[in-house]
Amino acid sequence: MENTENAQRFLTASRAGMIGCRMCGAVNPGDARVCTRCSSAIAPPDPASLQAVWAWLTAGLIAYVPANVYPMLRTTTLGHSSDSTLIGGIVELFAHGAFGVGFIVFFASIFIPIAKFVAIGYLAISVRRPSTLDSHSRLVLFEIVEFIGRWSMIDVFVVAILTALVQLDFAASISPGIAAVSFALSVAFTMLAAQSFDPRLIWAANSRSAE
Amino acid sequence: MTPPEPAELDVAEPRPSMWRNLSPIWLVPLVALLVSLGVAWKSYADRGVLIEITFENASGITPDDTTVRYRDVVIGKVEDVGFADDLSRVSVWARIDKEIAPYLDEDATFWVVRPEVSARGVSGLSTVLSGVYIEGAWDQTTGKARTRFEGADGPPLAHPGRAGRRITLRTEDGRMVSEGAPVLFRGIEVGRLERPRLTVSGDSIVVDAFIEAPHDRRINSATRFWDSSGFSVSIGASGLSLDVDSIASLVAGGIEFDTVFKGGRPVSSGAVFDIYPDEATARRTAFARSRSGGVEVAVAFDESVAGLTNGAAVKLGGVTVGEVGSVNAVIENESDEAEVRLVVKLLLDPALMGLPQGAGEDEVFDFLEQAVTNGMRARLASSGLFSSELFVELVTLEDADPAEFQRDAEPFPLLPSAPSDLPDFTATAEGALERISNLPIEELISQAVDTLASIEALVSDENIRQAPQAAVALLQDTRALVSDPETQALPAELRAAVADLRSIMAELERGQAVANLTAALEQGSTITANLAATSEELPALVDEFRALAAKANALEAEELIRAANQLLSSADALIGTDDARALPGAMVEALDEVRATLASLREGELVDNANAAMASARSAAEAVSAATEDLPSLTARLERLLAQSEALLADYGDNSTFNTETLSVLREVKAAAQAVSLLARKIERNPNSLVFGK
Repeated sequence: MENTENAQRFLTASRAGMIGCRMCGAVNPGDARVCTRCSSAIAPPDPASLQAVWAWLTAGLIAYVPANVYPMLRTTTLGHSSDSTLIGGIVELFAHGAFGVGFIVFFASIFIPIAKFVAIGYLAISVRRPSTLDSHSRLVLFEIVEFIGRWSMIDVFVVAILTALVQLDFAASISPGIAAVSFALSVAFTMLAAQSFDPRLIWAANSRSAE
Repeated sequence: MTPPEPAELDVAEPRPSMWRNLSPIWLVPLVALLVSLGVAWKSYADRGVLIEITFENASGITPDDTTVRYRDVVIGKVEDVGFADDLSRVSVWARIDKEIAPYLDEDATFWVVRPEVSARGVSGLSTVLSGVYIEGAWDQTTGKARTRFEGADGPPLAHPGRAGRRITLRTEDGRMVSEGAPVLFRGIEVGRLERPRLTVSGDSIVVDAFIEAPHDRRINSATRFWDSSGFSVSIGASGLSLDVDSIASLVAGGIEFDTVFKGGRPVSSGAVFDIYPDEATARRTAFARSRSGGVEVAVAFDESVAGLTNGAAVKLGGVTVGEVGSVNAVIENESDEAEVRLVVKLLLDPALMGLPQGAGEDEVFDFLEQAVTNGMRARLASSGLFSSELFVELVTLEDADPAEFQRDAEPFPLLPSAPSDLPDFTATAEGALERISNLPIEELISQAVDTLASIEALVSDENIRQAPQAAVALLQDTRALVSDPETQALPAELRAAVADLRSIMAELERGQAVANLTAALEQGSTITANLAATSEELPALVDEFRALAAKANALEAEELIRAANQLLSSADALIGTDDARALPGAMVEALDEVRATLASLREGELVDNANAAMASARSAAEAVSAATEDLPSLTARLERLLAQSEALLADYGDNSTFNTETLSVLREVKAAAQAVSLLARKIERNPNSLVFGK
């Protein structure tokens, strides 16, 4: 209902017989296969590409499970070694009263990845089905997801830096666990999922429902 | 008619197959899923086996931290610590690597490694920082895997699977063995002792020992073990011997072994050996027991065999040819009254007796028969000056009573014995003691005590103690007198008085004193006349002098000394009195007065005074002339005093009797004191000298 209202408000490129380049945003003629400006290949929005989104998203979700189950860091201090998982580390930070750091870690490694999964999944579904959110909001959501994707690697960076710095042999040493790799893969997969999503489909679905 | 048209078919486009449209991108999550599942499965499969180890206590063991190690390689981790069902022990659950688990069969042992400092060294030092860990040991073969184990208190004596042999040692004294003590072979550690334990009957102690390969091959029936702990000092026929082993065995004890003869039979694992108290004993026991060819003969001794022990040597011409097998008392019923004889069994080695190789009993008996006929006898001999140990000597005596080798005696052939010529040391010692006890030691001591008592009484006498004090007091008084400033000022005063007199004389000269002088001279001439009269009496005076000297000579020396003593004491008293000290002061005062008088004389009318002075001088001269008449008696008195003084001074002089006597007395006292001190020192240094006199 909302969508029908919106559909009457603006004209999409496809309805005008044009096609947009995903690289530089230039509007090309509808039958163009190469961008007249940046020479990158132009493909018409294909609903089948959603498969790639779903596939990457699934892979990201699968990788996210061991990232939480397995230890992220292995700290060895004077012969005592202790493993810490993501959740365990956050709980420990809160237990020590480091609420600020704890919150940052929680936000970066738990909240954002899950929010990304939810957001991408929602976007992919909304292409096929009528959505409660209007097209512009969904585009904003997509842009947020794409922007924030690269920052999700903050955990992996921390682990990499700690591992490189704290190598004091017997006194103290930190080594990455399986979870670090899993987490990095998970983030990478979700970024690819976001990349695979063609935002033009939002509008295409919009126009289709308008017909 | 129109041909019937076929009914319009409702042809729908075929639905695109879900599978045909499937993008290959789905391989990615598929691979991710497979990898994840693979990792999960692997970690589950590699999870290891949970085993339970029970310990007495769980000191230092913390879950998820304490590791389980084998040969210092981590093979597992403790997951939980709890109690056994009845709280009697602590259960530790640990997850052990999957590859290791099959080896954990019934020979696996676990113990907790803690820092330990013992006589044998420091171990487990790394656990000080990292905390304790559980170490396991098992052999290299897989067996029926178990998951419940009993933890040990410490590392096992021998790690399972280690090549070697386990034997059992038996001893009666548990002090010489301790757990972990080394088993040494020629000083090299080749094994360890386990925990000693009492036998059921409690009459001996057995301890398991593990001898590592390849040294376990040295263990056979000819092996003897002995205690090598600490050090041993022994005095024997060969002199003093001191054996000290390694510090570790000194502290923890140690067992040494050696193969004491050749040809021992191999022993199986678990063989039992005795531990002998020392090496000599161990070697001795092995001598004849091992010799299958040992020939047994008996000797009956009539005298005491105290000091003869099993294993004591049998010597022939100084060469050991066998040993004593046993010493028994045998009751012989030759006549009606039973007689106890001491029968010593000898084990003789034919080879050592110089008999040909392979010689048996018969050859030995033939030899003995012949030798006994020639006078050979067995007798006891002492093995050393300080030793009470005896050995059996086979000697050939020229004047031996006829006897024969009783070849058919039971149970062993009997060799005749001869009385020993052991020095009767006991008797000698008793005689010496008796002689010592007969010495008049007590009288000597009582005399010495008396002497010392009298010396003490003499020394403690009040008078002797006070003599030095009196002398000191006298000296102090004298010094006070001399150092008195007034005494020292005396010469100065005198000089001043003389100067005054001289000035008076000068003034008198200047005045018109000539006339007066003439008058005075006239008076003087009368005085001279008087003097001349007096001089006539001088020869009489000389005579008196002489008489006085004679009298002085006749005086008794003792009286003189006594008088001198009195004089000295009175002098002492005089000097000691305050008056004597005040004397110089009084003299000074007197001189001052004289000076004052002279001064006033000078100030007054010179001539008048001079005249008056002359007049008084004249009267004085008259008085002098009067006095001159009294001079003879005065002279006599002076003479007496002089003589007395002279005699006194003479006696008090350097070579006087008094002086010499005093000196000699002093010297004697000094010598006596020295002698006493010398005696005291000597007694102190060598109390025996009091008894032996030197």
